[in-house]
Amino acid sequence: MELSDNSSKGKVIASGIIPFVFVIIMMAYIFGPGADLLDLGIPLPEITMEKVDFVDSEIRVTVRNTGPIPVEVAMADVNDRIQPAAVEPDRYLDRYETALVRIPFEWNEAEPYIIGITIEDGTRFEKEIEAAAPALQPTLDLAVFFAIIGTYVGIIPVMIGLLWLPFIKRISKSKYHFFLALTAGLLLFLALDSIEEAIEVSDESLSGSFNGALLVATVIVLSFLGLYYSGEKLVERANSSKLAKPVAIALMISIGIGLHNFGEGLAIGAAVGMGSIAFSTFLIVGFALHNTTEGIAIAAPMSRGKLMIGKLAAMGMIAGAPAIFGAWIGGFVYSPFTSVIFLSIGAGAIFQVIVVLMKWLREEGDKNLSSASVASGFAVGMLVMYLTSILV
Amino acid sequence: MRITRSNAMILLFSITAILSVIAVFPAISEAQSEPKTFVTHSGAVVKTTGEVLDPLYTSATVEFDPMEYLRDFNYGRVLQLSDGTTVREFTIIANDDEIMEVSPGIFFNVWTFNGTVPGPTIRATEGDIVRIKFINNGEKEHTMHFHGIHPAGMDGVFEPVGGNGGQFVYEFEAGPVGVHPYHCHVMPLEEHIVRGLYGVFIVDPKEERPPADEMVMVLNGLDMDFDGENNFYAANTIPFYYQHHPIQINTDELVRVYVVNMVEFDPINNLHLHGNLYKYYPTGTDLVPSFYTDMITLSQTERGIMEFEYDYPGKYLFHAHKVEFSEKGWVGIFLVNDKPTNDEQEIEYGT
Repeated sequence: MELSDNSSKGKVIASGIIPFVFVIIMMAYIFGPGADLLDLGIPLPEITMEKVDFVDSEIRVTVRNTGPIPVEVAMADVNDRIQPAAVEPDRYLDRYETALVRIPFEWNEAEPYIIGITIEDGTRFEKEIEAAAPALQPTLDLAVFFAIIGTYVGIIPVMIGLLWLPFIKRISKSKYHFFLALTAGLLLFLALDSIEEAIEVSDESLSGSFNGALLVATVIVLSFLGLYYSGEKLVERANSSKLAKPVAIALMISIGIGLHNFGEGLAIGAAVGMGSIAFSTFLIVGFALHNTTEGIAIAAPMSRGKLMIGKLAAMGMIAGAPAIFGAWIGGFVYSPFTSVIFLSIGAGAIFQVIVVLMKWLREEGDKNLSSASVASGFAVGMLVMYLTSILV
Repeated sequence: MRITRSNAMILLFSITAILSVIAVFPAISEAQSEPKTFVTHSGAVVKTTGEVLDPLYTSATVEFDPMEYLRDFNYGRVLQLSDGTTVREFTIIANDDEIMEVSPGIFFNVWTFNGTVPGPTIRATEGDIVRIKFINNGEKEHTMHFHGIHPAGMDGVFEPVGGNGGQFVYEFEAGPVGVHPYHCHVMPLEEHIVRGLYGVFIVDPKEERPPADEMVMVLNGLDMDFDGENNFYAANTIPFYYQHHPIQINTDELVRVYVVNMVEFDPINNLHLHGNLYKYYPTGTDLVPSFYTDMITLSQTERGIMEFEYDYPGKYLFHAHKVEFSEKGWVGIFLVNDKPTNDEQEIEYGT
């Protein structure tokens, strides 16, 4: 008996491994003797200028080889005029390798520049900078400035939104459902907003070889699954402990919104860093109004438990404070890749929260998701977000 | 000598110690590669731990030597006909598969006459018979079309010479006096020209011009990315070459420059000389200069002869005053040396 058991086990293992063996053989063949068969077409080199920093009398360009073949950086130009330059650590770039090209140049603030990099076969790549702005130095002043902006667009609006809690507490069940659905609508809008932003950043600064849209989709799904799994665990524990279910849901919502605000902070910090936006009070007001609705999203589920001011404030911080960290990172060490990743994680987190909310709404609302209050709440949520987004 | 155990231990220990010091202080190992420096266009000196991307050519790496081309005149194999006429025979081989490093680290497939861009400078005296044995070793059809006076059949337009060894003999009487371009005249013409199939043909007058330090400058451009715009401009192909390797001339010595503009895409080119003016002979067909100027404007294949002498030693720029071209390589320096025989009292000018 044991013998046949063993042999059947061996068969299982073998049948699992055999396809892999064939994959390896095929790869070995394609890269080895079969290489000529596939030697069709001409691979075109490609580099992407991911970052351009304007420092004292110098323009610094971070270049990544995003093509299928190794390249050599050969020449740099500013506005199509050849400039002596340096490339560190060296001119040879393998796939996905980066180098820093330093171009000494007396640039003028707020003027547009086109930076060109030519590689060994004479192909020139260029990147347009709308307005040159000095690269941000991580000074205390600037850190404080970003913290203030983060507070205005993150913490304060969320806290204001939370003040609706007493109101939501007093309303009838169907109106309450309306507000829960409204929250879901708000969140859906935020998720879509994050996705749009992520795809925009990847289109602008990441090369095609990163498969921007698919990268965003993959990260969203992974983040959704990760948080969905751990969220379920949290709710399970909430049921068996003194942590009430509404609190657990509100906590998840704050985490999701926090991730979104982190992404938003990154975008704001990066925009300041690249000099592509002027921070008007109007813009801050727009962000603030927009984010006030996020407070309602946290307040709505919390309104059915005991009033826990401490917890509520903590959640407000969880949701709002990441905007400050985002602004710091975006302003001081911006990288489009991390920006895309965080925006996508935020979107995934929000989708997870929406699912949890809808589940709860379904349980609360007698297994009915198509009541007038739910439908109208959802719709109003989207609309409010859209209208306030126009201000941004 | 036997290596004792303790010796081996000490050796092992010291190797480990050195390696760990290098690992812990990577600065030490980096310090061994000295930072390189380079000078910017505005004169600032910049240090880098990486590599310098400066479009200057060190003579160690140059494939095509513009300094050699500058004063290289080919008079051909000379034969005398019974009536006393001089026949000059040249062999020109066309090719279209050469990869040339046109600027440091940048490689381009040039099409060449005798392996260089521009092709060899062909020189004859008015009335000589020029006989050119043309061999096309390229893959595409090529010809040689000379500007000047010759029979229709020698015009290099309607007699394309096939690749992979096709041959043709161009024979005509050299004329008129002046400086003329020659180039391939196969369609698509623009491509055959900008890829490098051109050169200079000088016809000297029977009564020689006064002795001078003579040189040839072909003003040309290279479109590296095939977008119909030049990425490089130069005098004699290599961008910035004469800026980093100044052309040495002497004070009080006549300098004669045969200039031919072969730039495509851009309707005009020009040439500005610093600290001096030159006598200019358009197309070189007249022995009396038409202009005394420091700036001439040249359209496609427009050419002429410049003559000048420097009174004061020092460095003088010459460049396109369409400064876009000069910032893309069409700029050079004349380094004027005091003539050793010049016993005039030396006066310092400037600074």
